[in-house]
Amino acid sequence: MPSAQFLLVLSTLAFLAGVAPALAALRRGRWRRGRGVQLAAMLAGFALQTASIYLRGQQVGQCPMKSLPDILVFVAWSIALLYFLVGSTFRVSLLGMFTAPLLVVMHGLAFSFPGGFRPYPVKGQIIALVELHAALALVAYAAFALACVTGVMYLLQERLLKKHLIGGLFYELPPIQGLARAIQRMVMLGVVLLSASLGISFKLEGVAAGPKLAIAWGVWALYTLISIVIWRHTLSPRQTAWLAALGFVIPFISLWLVT
Amino acid sequence: MPQATEKSGRLVCLGLNYRTTPVEVREKVAFPRPSVPAALREVAALPGFDESVVLSTCNRVELYAVHHLDDCAQAHATLRDYLVRRFDLATGQAEALVTYGLDSAEAARHLFRVVSGLDSMVLGETEIFGQVKDAYKAALETGVTGRALNKLFQHAFSTGKKVRNQTSIQRGSTSVGSVAVDLAEKIHDLAECRVMLVGAGEMSRTCAQSLLSRGAKSIIVSNRNYDRAVELAAEMRGSAIKFDAWEASMHEVDVIISSTSAPHFVIHPEQIRQVMRKRRWEPLLIIDIAVPRDVDPRVNEIEGVYLYDIDALQAIADEGRRERQRQLAACEQIIEQQLEKFGLAASRE
Repeated sequence: MPSAQFLLVLSTLAFLAGVAPALAALRRGRWRRGRGVQLAAMLAGFALQTASIYLRGQQVGQCPMKSLPDILVFVAWSIALLYFLVGSTFRVSLLGMFTAPLLVVMHGLAFSFPGGFRPYPVKGQIIALVELHAALALVAYAAFALACVTGVMYLLQERLLKKHLIGGLFYELPPIQGLARAIQRMVMLGVVLLSASLGISFKLEGVAAGPKLAIAWGVWALYTLISIVIWRHTLSPRQTAWLAALGFVIPFISLWLVT
Repeated sequence: MPQATEKSGRLVCLGLNYRTTPVEVREKVAFPRPSVPAALREVAALPGFDESVVLSTCNRVELYAVHHLDDCAQAHATLRDYLVRRFDLATGQAEALVTYGLDSAEAARHLFRVVSGLDSMVLGETEIFGQVKDAYKAALETGVTGRALNKLFQHAFSTGKKVRNQTSIQRGSTSVGSVAVDLAEKIHDLAECRVMLVGAGEMSRTCAQSLLSRGAKSIIVSNRNYDRAVELAAEMRGSAIKFDAWEASMHEVDVIISSTSAPHFVIHPEQIRQVMRKRRWEPLLIIDIAVPRDVDPRVNEIEGVYLYDIDALQAIADEGRRERQRQLAACEQIIEQQLEKFGLAASRE
């Protein structure tokens, strides 16, 4: 049976394979040619990623979310999952083109830690609520990551419209109004999931505490603020898109801090 | 009968289109939809003929048939005579009827080009695909197609799809109206899109109609001549407002098409800033078709506002046409490959 890491390498290659033809198709101005390849690559990458996480779980005897490489892979898997869930709102293949590079980077980072995928012992009893708390937080981070990707798409389409650059990419990107709403939905979803995760932490006296929890509250505060700003129309959609795109740096860096 | 035509029948196409024949003549030889089944039977019953498809659109009339005549020129003449008789053309009109006759591989190549939109007035347009499909369906239902035409048209549809999927021949806009629609679609959900027409010029009317035909929600018309505004609004199932009231309604619409004859700007950045505050950052598309321009170009600097004047729209449409022209060689190559693949390149020569 292939190892979890081998499947992860294959998954990374599948995501890479989806990006290259799509970019080439865009450059040629023949987007349709890359569409099937893009979707197939995303599906293959996700299937391999899922199998890899399953095997890794078997290897460490628990949900693999205790080391930074494992966390990066789990967040990448959540991003891919959300991508398939929300993809129909957009043009799936195009969101894939923007999402796949992020997944490749996250997998790459996970591999960059020497011995990062070594087995680790199960510390004490496995508490289901702790696992749920951690999983919800990571899926929330994935929602913030997709908000970041959608923010980049918004900023691109907005620039093309302002500068009258009506070409290949313009026709493939969704309407800016739809993108603005998608950013809003992704940020809200992330806040709800993170709130649920933090809500669970109240039930885990002493188990989930310390700097990890403080950082999670910090991320929650940041995105709750972004949600309020969006909801109250305080900032323009462009400023919101910048916030969603750049804001993800905070939860991304916090992954290092919490591990 | 179908087998016999496959073995010995020869494909022929006799036609006329917007390039060969002026509209005054084309309209005389057009087949109204209800008359098509009878025409199909008449062509298939001509001496030496046994399959037919009649394609009649506003830009072309083409008869595709399979015949057993020894001479192709005779087949062309028979079909041409049929048109003259069928439409009772006088001698002068018959002489003015310029047609083209194509045989075997040339006829197949022509059909493939037609289906792919390469022979259309607007290069790459998609409507023709459906029109050819309808023409073939009518022939199939009338029972005048055999194996030869069935195979030919199936191959033509598959080639048409290939050309559209593998090239960008249908991408981009080629007219000012379609550019306006594309822009509106990339900013708003068209079904929720409210349009305001300031001034009632022909071009602005075309843009508004394009938006409405693609599903824009509603239209408001404002013009110095209120009666004209009411007339235009009625034509487009919208509402008219007095010319001094359009500024107050600006925040309620998503697209403004301006084409007044004012010699100075009528829409200024200060106005639009106020409008955007009321719109709570909902984006606004402004299409300025007037010359001299109606909208101060600084309006485009306001966040959430996208301003396009007539030159910008025309430049996009021109680029769309050039892009389609650039795709032409790739399309022709696909057609040649498909002719070869289906054994139509030489087998019928």
